Amino acid sequence: MRAFVLTDPALASHAGRFVWLDLNTDETANEPVLQKHEADALPTFMVVDPKDERVVLRWVGSLTVPQLEAFLEEARATLRGVGKAASPEDAALVRADALYGARQYAEAAAAYREALAKAPTGWPRYSRAVEALLYSYQSTDAYAQAVALAREARSRLAGTPSALTASLGGLDSALELPKDDAGRAAGIAEMEAALRAAVADATVVVAADDRSGAFGSLLQARRQAGDEAGVKSVAAEWAAFLEGEALKARSPEERAVFDSHRLSAYLALGDPGRAIAMLQASEKELPRDYNPPNRLARAYASLKEWDEALAASSRAAGLAQGRAKLRVLSLRASLLEEKGDVAAARRTYDEAIVFGEALPADERPVKTIEQLRKQREKLLAPPKPRE
Amino acid sequence: MKRPLPLALAFTFGAVTLAAGAGRDDMRPLPFHSDAYPKALAEARSRDLPLFIEAWAPW
Repeated sequence: MRAFVLTDPALASHAGRFVWLDLNTDETANEPVLQKHEADALPTFMVVDPKDERVVLRWVGSLTVPQLEAFLEEARATLRGVGKAASPEDAALVRADALYGARQYAEAAAAYREALAKAPTGWPRYSRAVEALLYSYQSTDAYAQAVALAREARSRLAGTPSALTASLGGLDSALELPKDDAGRAAGIAEMEAALRAAVADATVVVAADDRSGAFGSLLQARRQAGDEAGVKSVAAEWAAFLEGEALKARSPEERAVFDSHRLSAYLALGDPGRAIAMLQASEKELPRDYNPPNRLARAYASLKEWDEALAASSRAAGLAQGRAKLRVLSLRASLLEEKGDVAAARRTYDEAIVFGEALPADERPVKTIEQLRKQREKLLAPPKPRE
Repeated sequence: MKRPLPLALAFTFGAVTLAAGAGRDDMRPLPFHSDAYPKALAEARSRDLPLFIEAWAPW
């Protein structure tokens, strides 16, 4: 959405109302601020009170221009104290937002539930509260509650961008339910149908990445069902959608926005070769970006063209810095493992861990390094004996 | 919420995410500071304005 929503001229009227800051989470220099204002998922938007650096309003995920404008207005109103005691539902919402801002998701969920229970029909904050509650449930593994919320909210959200969000969160949550959960199959079926309908509803304006993300979840549902033909069918639809969006791009940067999802769709189609020309073009047009060669490495590896894959990975490593370099090296290690070269995979993990630990202490991505150690340990673990 | 990408998953390549379009900064109508929290916070304090933060990644 960064390439599309944040470039909308309609936002110009808000320019003087906030101080604007973007934080690239790949930049290790941002590590101290990201420890203070943690983003559990990307994108995340926060409005911070500069007096005490408290997050007064948080939004996780992309949003449309009208949603962003409403978010900005609500943040300003919250800071001015407007609505604090206006109604019981608004008072509960203010509490919920403060807890959500502080990433206390279980407590935030309780407060959002209270706000929704007290809210009259037509409450203007209904959709935002539902989206935040859904994310709070997902963040605390309360998947059954998330499915129930999506089911309950779906009809009230019909015709809005939040209808897609609710169905998507509902389907993702249903897929996370334990395999022996009595409501799992029905939940998946209902949410899959709802999400299909939301994706197909061309009258609702949603960001391209929201629609594309929905295809990713639909594909996952078919994959979990063991429906290989269904996987291919969704992947073909997804690829066609993304190719159409890429055709609308006004610049190489805008077109490359769709490369990662297109690669995922082509991989799901079993046709990684279709990504090669696209990624080669992106690498040529965006020569300082490590992403195109890194994606090329994945595509070539899927074709078992190992020399090309490792050469592309080396080009990506040469361009990447900080956390991005760790990502490139991690991918290279997993490709080497796929190739069957465990010793080289191990060396690559070691290289990544050494690189990460050499970063200045306050910039060190500790969680990422820990994850690399776990991946390395997994690689070293002897295979489980067959039963 | 729209399927945001959990950072924990984002590290593995298989996770589905749409790149952020890092190259469009020149087209944004909002005067963003990039990767400069102390500077942006100081400006927000001096102008008595709230601070808007976008956390993103270029992948």
